[in-house]
Amino acid sequence: MRAGRAAAGGASPPPHAPGFELTTREGGLVAVCFVAMASPCELLLETDADAARELGRIAAEEAWRIETKFSRYRPESIISVINGSRGHAVVVDRETAALLDYAAQCHALSQGRFDITSGALRRCWTFDGSDRLPEPAAVAALLPLIGFEKIGWQSPRITLPTGMEIDFGGIGKEYAVDRVLTLVAARFAGAALVNFGGDLAANRAPAAAPWQVGVERPDTEREPRLLLELSRGGLATSGDTHRFLLRDGVRYSHILDPRSGWPVRDTPRSVTVAAASCVEAGMLATFAMLQGSDAEAFLEEQSVRYWCLR
Amino acid sequence: MQLKRPPSPLHLGLMAASCTLLSGTARAQAAPEDSPEQPLQIGADLLYYKENAGRVQTIEPVVSLKKDFGDQRVLDGTMTIDSLSGATPNGAIPARTPQTFASPSSTSLTPRPGYKTTLYTIAPGALPQDPHFKEERAAGDLGWSQPIGLDNTLSYGGHASTEHDFDSVAAHAGFSHDFNEKNTTLSAGINEEYDRIHAHGGNPVPGSDYALYEKEPSQTRNVAGGLIGVTQVMRRNWLAELNYTFDHSQGYLTDPYRIISLVDDTGAVTGYRYENRPDTRTRQSLYWVNKVALGPTVLDLAYRHSRDSWGIGSDTVDAKLRIDLGSGMYLEPHARWYHQSAADFYNLYLIETAAAPAYMSADPRLGAFAATTFGLKFAIATGRNGELSMRLEQYEQRPSDQSSALAELQGLDLNPNLKATIVQLSWHFEY
Repeated sequence: MRAGRAAAGGASPPPHAPGFELTTREGGLVAVCFVAMASPCELLLETDADAARELGRIAAEEAWRIETKFSRYRPESIISVINGSRGHAVVVDRETAALLDYAAQCHALSQGRFDITSGALRRCWTFDGSDRLPEPAAVAALLPLIGFEKIGWQSPRITLPTGMEIDFGGIGKEYAVDRVLTLVAARFAGAALVNFGGDLAANRAPAAAPWQVGVERPDTEREPRLLLELSRGGLATSGDTHRFLLRDGVRYSHILDPRSGWPVRDTPRSVTVAAASCVEAGMLATFAMLQGSDAEAFLEEQSVRYWCLR
Repeated sequence: MQLKRPPSPLHLGLMAASCTLLSGTARAQAAPEDSPEQPLQIGADLLYYKENAGRVQTIEPVVSLKKDFGDQRVLDGTMTIDSLSGATPNGAIPARTPQTFASPSSTSLTPRPGYKTTLYTIAPGALPQDPHFKEERAAGDLGWSQPIGLDNTLSYGGHASTEHDFDSVAAHAGFSHDFNEKNTTLSAGINEEYDRIHAHGGNPVPGSDYALYEKEPSQTRNVAGGLIGVTQVMRRNWLAELNYTFDHSQGYLTDPYRIISLVDDTGAVTGYRYENRPDTRTRQSLYWVNKVALGPTVLDLAYRHSRDSWGIGSDTVDAKLRIDLGSGMYLEPHARWYHQSAADFYNLYLIETAAAPAYMSADPRLGAFAATTFGLKFAIATGRNGELSMRLEQYEQRPSDQSSALAELQGLDLNPNLKATIVQLSWHFEY
């Protein structure tokens, strides 16, 4: 649900897997696997299968709850309610309010680069590997519908001008990872790792050794899988995978700058960041992508562990 | 690539925002969030109150409704219709000779054409009580409360009641703010009440000679008050609340049906005056209540200290212990101790030859007394969120001034103890 990735989407996510699967792994670990947010989700627990079953159920239900509540694809989600409000104020619950507050802070911290209203640009940008760039006039015509500052947000009341839309791309999946870890850790003293499609968080390392985490690189033919060690905290990756446009030798990344409506130039292929939580790691990775050619310099300034691939 | 430099301002800002997001929503999840519309809650209560010695008794049915429209937007209201009957002390003391009084609805003390006169005579040594007392009352109130933002609640409402001789309307508004992770709540409120008093047979002229039977048209008074309070979660199982309330009454505060005996130096009754109270009164009180959960048992311990500009000071200790019996049943013993000092102008009687005071009252409620209440409530759960309960209480009031050294009054119980029995049946259910 990263901003960039969501910008290229359009298809509905597959329906939930009906449940979750338990498998025993070496090192005294149990893996709980399920599908949520169009991603393979995995919960690794340092325990036996019996204890893992209940924790797995809690984890899967929380992931599905968050997906159902915040997915812009679901007509009953709060995001769809807000997007369909046609200029009328919507009073939101505490959790949605906290996420909107977070989005507002990230918008300010990134000086407008991270913007939950930028999804409207999807109406003219389709990143299918072709050379079909939109007309500059079409992009310019959408700009009045972009900009967090145009939203009336006074918690718990949001007023979205007609034609604008929001989504929690870049926040939602990372938030789900941290929430699931919090719920599991509150009921379980052992080591736990939550991994939703490469965005992950751990409460602590298993007794034997730190978690071994494989991060998929965007172009697997060229780059080997990145193997990392993680003890605790969050890890998230923002990448541009195969979604881009190519014209006259210029590669247009799907990372759009909401201030211009055009792709950020010279973005890395992939940025992976380790931080205290998955939301924090994910937002730093997104911020870095939005810096384009300055991504590495930006990450250096933040004093975080990162892996940047060009 | 581990860097040793401190985090940048941007990263610090993001850390703070992320922590707020995750800790804030962890709390929000712990609380019932997104609360949907709730069923209508209906309460039906029947209260029976009976004083000893054939004095006042009342039956008070109360219907209460409460509707949560979701997200803590709550409308509630109650409707009461009651009737009070029985003998009521008129304020005069017992005497050695028979005493004759007119019921308040009389327009003349002596029978004459065009006037209404209903008399009652009290035997020597007996407490003068009006046997014809009967009152019916209808009262209703309606309140609304809703959250404002995430941590504030606004509430407001109104109240109205009517009797044959008394009408009252009131409005209130309150605001509360939660902070310190919802462990602390600050509240403030204001209220305003307006009353009209139009006694049966007219309002007597305060302080006037009873024999003259001077009546005035209806009178009014208003009461303005305020409250500030703090509620604090002290421990996981201990909630404490401290409130300060203040109110100021202005207007006709006299009881139109109360008189006070005049006696000579020997104590023989020579006449009566209508009582007369100051036309302003300010009251302040401090209320401290604790709720402590001891496993399934809940202790509710409250203390109130109150004083007013009339010189009445009072202290109340109230304790309830809710004992869980399992299977949806509980037993709740209740004990209450109360003590008050007398109003500056309170007297059992006035000496006829002494200079008449500016204000005077023999209303036992303004005298010094101690009171105790002991009760027991038994409740049983019915259906979903329903409860059927019965409460039985015994109240006893013991006045400090009960006798006189004056020759004619010796041996008379001038201000008898009051005992009352309270039975309440309640049925609360959801619809």
